[in-house]
Amino acid sequence: MKKDKLYQIPDHVTDVILESISDGVFTVDHEWRITSFNHAAEEITGIPRDEAIGKHCREVFRSNMCETDCALRRTMNEGKPFVDTSTYIVNSEKRRIPVAVSTSLLKDENGIVLGGVETFRDMSLVEELRKKLDARYQVGDMVSRSPSMHRIFTILPQVAESDSTVLIQGETGTGKELLSRAIHELSPRRGKPFITINCGAFPDTLLESELFGYKAGAFTNATKDKPGHFAVAEGGTILLDEIGDLSAAFQVRLLRVLQDRTFQPLGGTKPVKADVRVIVASNKDLSKLVKSETFRQDLFYRINVVRLDLPPLRDRKEDIPMLVKHFISRLNRLRGRSVTGISQKGLALLLSHDYPGNIRELENIVEHAFVLCPNGQIESHCLPDNLRVLLRGPTTHAKIDAALQSVEVQVIMDALKRNKYNRLATARDLGIHKSTLFRKIKILGIELPKLDGRTQQKRAR
Amino acid sequence: MKLALTVCENRISPLFDCARMLLIVDIVDRTSTGRHFEVLHYESPFSRAAKLSDLGVKVLICGAVSDQFANIIETYGIKIVPFVAGAVDDVIDAYLTGGLYNAKFRMPGC
Repeated sequence: MKKDKLYQIPDHVTDVILESISDGVFTVDHEWRITSFNHAAEEITGIPRDEAIGKHCREVFRSNMCETDCALRRTMNEGKPFVDTSTYIVNSEKRRIPVAVSTSLLKDENGIVLGGVETFRDMSLVEELRKKLDARYQVGDMVSRSPSMHRIFTILPQVAESDSTVLIQGETGTGKELLSRAIHELSPRRGKPFITINCGAFPDTLLESELFGYKAGAFTNATKDKPGHFAVAEGGTILLDEIGDLSAAFQVRLLRVLQDRTFQPLGGTKPVKADVRVIVASNKDLSKLVKSETFRQDLFYRINVVRLDLPPLRDRKEDIPMLVKHFISRLNRLRGRSVTGISQKGLALLLSHDYPGNIRELENIVEHAFVLCPNGQIESHCLPDNLRVLLRGPTTHAKIDAALQSVEVQVIMDALKRNKYNRLATARDLGIHKSTLFRKIKILGIELPKLDGRTQQKRAR
Repeated sequence: MKLALTVCENRISPLFDCARMLLIVDIVDRTSTGRHFEVLHYESPFSRAAKLSDLGVKVLICGAVSDQFANIIETYGIKIVPFVAGAVDDVIDAYLTGGLYNAKFRMPGC
């Protein structure tokens, strides 16, 4: 009897508990009308309790599950609870609030079902942190998890802030223009023009008029003044792409502009001041061009203030899954499609290719697949023929698995070397759990040196 | 003029973003002259907005709607009357008689 008294909790205590917790809680009757609505539910939804009570729950909760996949309805139908279902609700300001929902039956002391109870937790902060984590791998429109790219991402804000001339080197399709745009967007010059010109696409005279403009009467048919790219980019940033293709004569002219920060339009008599940040890009190694005397040494030193080398995609194949996801998401948005991802076989084919055209080639492959697979998953038969060569022949599956495994081995070996064979650091670097790493090392037969990262550290101490 | 309403079990759908059924009502001189249903298969904001535009919809009455959907639909020149709740026929009558802004058709907290 004494024991019973000890465990008897007065009714109002339950109310106090419900009011003090940070999870939203509401209950419904068999008609789906809200019968109770706690303080946290008011806070998260922005709906006062007196407006919610008696209303149809889906007109109060307004989640993306309400119409087709209501967790509370499933609980009421199946008699079992559901825990932490992720969804979102939309508040009166049209803002989506991510929530985790749990549901269970509401019964009286005799076990008779009175209705249902739903608890929901505001996941906005978690979502925000997740986005920040993702942002570590994304700058502008560039995404990468590879350490070489991550080093560039890390220093990019300081580079952008500096206003120094930047030299970007990388094979065609590695994202030189995207990187330049990211520098511009992170710099104090954002909001001002960002102009790109491909220096290799014009003969000298045309390039001069394109870059510096001309005055009326400078040549036949020049009936009025035309501003050049430097004038149009005033206050902003200009990207001089394929600078390694400039003629020797034009290199001298450009050196003058970079030294004096002035330019002279064709037919003009006065130099014009240029408040423009210059970024130059090349798919050739300019230091080699200097050695072969096809590129002026003084111009090289003038532009080689901050140098960023973009690695080719074949050296960072670990980025392929993330890049494919990024392109799918972008094309879904642009084309109004609902492609959900890529099949494992399709991804294996992508990983087995060498990408001479780098990221641009990968993007084109995904776009090709979008044409053939407008919905669902991208399957291997949607990929271009040159990739599907691997699929032909009786040993196809083995070949694909082997390709996938060799890439996996390479990625893990690179990460182990980077982290001096410390397995915990390697697992962190690869974004996988240490036990997953151990399992993969075993399955893939990766041989490790006798000393691992920990023993090295201990010895160093 | 074509009026569109997102419907679910004879009431306005709770959330436009994932509504599956659209009721199109033809209106001439503040009178309903015909109605038919359209299924909404498309998930992306652009597809939904394009579908409404292709159907010639001028006004959309719906429940809650997130801003990523609302902004795109409005750029197509479609007027949205959001956060509406109630039985579909009552809502149409209220729209035709100018009574839709009555509090009884507003979603709670809106």
